[in-house]
Amino acid sequence: MLSGMLPRLRVLRKLYGLEPAAAARRLSAADASASPSSARANSLLRPLPGLELPPSLPDNLGRSPTRVTTLPNGIRIATEDIPGPSGCIGFFVNSGSIYESGETTGVSHLLEKMAFKDTEHRRHRNLVHELELAGANVAAAAAREQMVYSYETLKGYMPEAIEILIDCVRNPLFLQEEVERQLVLAREEVQDLQKNPERFLHEQLNLVGFSGALANPLIAPEDALARINDKIIQKFYHENYTADRVVLAASGVDHDRLLNYAEFLLRDWHKGSPVEKPNSTYVGGDSRHRADSDMTHVALAFEVPGGWLQERDATIMTVIQTLMGGGGSFSSGGPGKGMHSRLYLRVLNKYHSVQSFSAFSNVYDNTGLFGIYLTTPSDFVAKAVDVAISELIAVATPGEVTEVELQRAKNSTISSVLMNLESRAVVAEDIGRQLLTYGCRKPIDYFLQCMEEITLDDITTFARKMLSSQPTMVSWGDVDKVPPYEFVCKRFR
Amino acid sequence: MAFRRILSTAMRRRSAVAAAAGNAREASTAVAAAPGVLTPDATPVRAPVMPYDRIAEAVNARLRRLEHPDPRFLRYASPVPSHADHTAILAAPETRVTTLPNGLRVATESSLAARTATVGVWIDAGSRYENEEAAGVAHFVEHMLFKGTGKRSAAQLEKEIEDMGGHLNAYTSREQTTYYAKVLEKDVSRAMEVLADILQNSNLDKARIERERDVILREMEEVEGQSEEVIFDHLHATAFQYTSLGRPILGSADNVRSITKEDLENYIATHYTAPRMVITAAGNVKHEDIVEQARKLFDKLSTDPTTTTMLVAKEPASFTGSEVRIIDDDMPLAQFAVAFNGASWVDPDSVALMVMQSMLGSWNKNAGGGKHMGSELVQRAAINDIAESVMAFNTNYKDTGLFGVYAVAKADCLDDLAFAIMQEMSKLSYRVTEEDVIRARNQLKSSIQLHLDGSTAVVEDIGRQLLTYGRRIPIPELFARIDAVDASTVKRVANRFIFDQDVAIAAMGPIQGLPDYNWFRRRTYMLRY
Repeated sequence: MLSGMLPRLRVLRKLYGLEPAAAARRLSAADASASPSSARANSLLRPLPGLELPPSLPDNLGRSPTRVTTLPNGIRIATEDIPGPSGCIGFFVNSGSIYESGETTGVSHLLEKMAFKDTEHRRHRNLVHELELAGANVAAAAAREQMVYSYETLKGYMPEAIEILIDCVRNPLFLQEEVERQLVLAREEVQDLQKNPERFLHEQLNLVGFSGALANPLIAPEDALARINDKIIQKFYHENYTADRVVLAASGVDHDRLLNYAEFLLRDWHKGSPVEKPNSTYVGGDSRHRADSDMTHVALAFEVPGGWLQERDATIMTVIQTLMGGGGSFSSGGPGKGMHSRLYLRVLNKYHSVQSFSAFSNVYDNTGLFGIYLTTPSDFVAKAVDVAISELIAVATPGEVTEVELQRAKNSTISSVLMNLESRAVVAEDIGRQLLTYGCRKPIDYFLQCMEEITLDDITTFARKMLSSQPTMVSWGDVDKVPPYEFVCKRFR
Repeated sequence: MAFRRILSTAMRRRSAVAAAAGNAREASTAVAAAPGVLTPDATPVRAPVMPYDRIAEAVNARLRRLEHPDPRFLRYASPVPSHADHTAILAAPETRVTTLPNGLRVATESSLAARTATVGVWIDAGSRYENEEAAGVAHFVEHMLFKGTGKRSAAQLEKEIEDMGGHLNAYTSREQTTYYAKVLEKDVSRAMEVLADILQNSNLDKARIERERDVILREMEEVEGQSEEVIFDHLHATAFQYTSLGRPILGSADNVRSITKEDLENYIATHYTAPRMVITAAGNVKHEDIVEQARKLFDKLSTDPTTTTMLVAKEPASFTGSEVRIIDDDMPLAQFAVAFNGASWVDPDSVALMVMQSMLGSWNKNAGGGKHMGSELVQRAAINDIAESVMAFNTNYKDTGLFGVYAVAKADCLDDLAFAIMQEMSKLSYRVTEEDVIRARNQLKSSIQLHLDGSTAVVEDIGRQLLTYGRRIPIPELFARIDAVDASTVKRVANRFIFDQDVAIAAMGPIQGLPDYNWFRRRTYMLRY
């Protein structure tokens, strides 16, 4: 094809000095005069000639224990050094939608979108270039009680990483134009929420299930987006991002090295006045959102009394969640995804029209939600909700759950905890979130020990305790077919 | 008072200069000694009267803030591309490789402090080695191996893995098949036993085969719903037409309905041979233990010495400049992929192609930051708002490869986007700046290393490299090879793969506005002197 042009183009290539032989390369210092034949010698099948390799590391390099330093202004710096070529640092801030009120409603959502933008020292453009040059991964996430900013990069780039991350979290400018741009994106996101029933219902669960701070929306509602501007964000930021509410957590970074680089960037961060955590009460309730769809989605939940701060109860709840398990009727992956969990065996394998059926939880510091999320064709939804109720009641009934099931659930939970902690980003997140919630990092063995000690009695007792709260039920789709709320409440009495 | 203000301004000016010096990585002691907190700026003497005065004042105030940055925050990072030295972190635990008498290779990387491990079997076999009549059999085998052996039924197998909290997974690609288990340290030997059992003693029960047909047909439906997968299947089908590499991994629906037990057995007997397999392990494992177990457990494998190199030589893949277009005006977005014939795994230029892929970059609208990104392709897509996403890709196979760009866009932007893509790709043969290459090299090095996060990623890396290169390339060597790529290398390699070469195109959706084939072909070179 087009081969008639080739002779002329070959001349052109010569003119340009682009003949392959002309492009001598410095593949190795020992091999200065590279030619096509030496390119063949440089095949990836063979080691590169003339390259000296550093000696291998020993096999038994371990992780160092977590070290925490508190600066005079209250900032906590915590690290776990992990051997390997890369590290992850993150800021964890005790702020989120629960601290919003009135005009600041929805600000946390915007703060997430405004992360890693212009700062007092770098334009967004320079920041993007700096991140690209190190091939770094940055991410920000807003939650109801905590904000996370993380930065993952090679260890060689740590000084830059520390400087950039701190600058982005400490000195954001919240430029008006950028805020307006992000507001437009946020608005699109809110409109897209209608296409994502799962995310919509998880938001609804909080709005309906709680009264007080936890009922604040995390996804900014449209009226909030119309009101929010750079000043409001600035004000919220200054009130909530104070030194005593910030943790800098890192994995794969030496503690003294991090202190050396970070301390003098952080020590003059302003210290705020102590803030009381806003109160929330679990109330329960019902909310239905009619939508034109073949599928109906329902989430049925109860309170997890005590939340993360009751760590033993939270551990029991985690095991109950694995025990019930569940998932989608069609999903990839082999054994290990919970194919022998209760909901999989007793629901998904039995009712083939059910599309997905799984246990879920959203846990906060002092409270939380636990329940079942299901998706079915609309004409099956009444039966599916009924099955969900029976399944919840079953785990709270003595004699229903067997010792084998419990042991399987414990093993799965323990191994999934340990497997997740292989990842550097997860380690940094675990350090940061634990410091914000517990004020220290509890060793992982403490939680695993808690888990080992759980008995069948603990499961039924705690399940019963959760089910004694008022149910929260939210649904999306053909909601007229969802059983009435009173009927659901009656079943649990 | 006024005098002091002037003094502090002067001091700030000086610190700004110092900051600029810090930018160039020449941080002096003056930087550290500079004042940390800025004093508020002087209030204007006269209140601005007109609205634009106020706007000007606001803009000026903001500019002033940027003009006098706190030098503490500008000591290390710099937006100017530079080479970073990673010598300190290049050492890694050793990858030990042992070849057993039957040709089976065992490769491990231990980190004895870990509490988990991944063990896997990597097989140099995939859909391209199937017979035409039984296309899809490679993937069918992958499904059937989880359906029971002489020793364990499918349910027992599932229970055994779930009871120990492990994960067992498998996937099939065009050239490789993988089975791996992720478990706690104490269960490594059991996981090895399970892997050996399913690979050597699977029942391939006829009733289960019948049931599995529906599951695979369902999986096909799922794949057809993922437009990216569909486009790449079409791209392979057109670029490697009439060769086995052009077939989709899952095979055709007709084949899935008709594959027999004999087909499955044949495939396993021919391709699951010891010399074409690698047992890999990472995490808390000891090399000697894994070798010893592999010797005991994998004793039934065929030792047929046929290598895939021989198979490939018999049935090589050949690239054909061609296109496939599926016009569907009901789809909301158009998508297309343009690809050149790329490099094989072992081609020394494959490293340069990796750097070039990184230079072209990838971006999607939701990620943001596009207009500032280094890649000019991404800049053009983002600033002109002509794409929803663009992604450069570089796929390697035994004897060939695909290098190109995949993009999703609205129907009315296709001609502009096609122009941007073709110009940016063909520009790699003409104008390449050293800065762009350095940036791409740094990104490539970081993404390779950041990806190795956890034992499963390590095992995957070892397995893939042993099958493709016959060894694990040490990170220092890989980095040296990447660092050897400079602007002139990129131009030379672009001349080999892009300059006046045929393209393969796959497009789908409302693509009436996508330029024709000859238009693309014409833009693989520029008439410049």
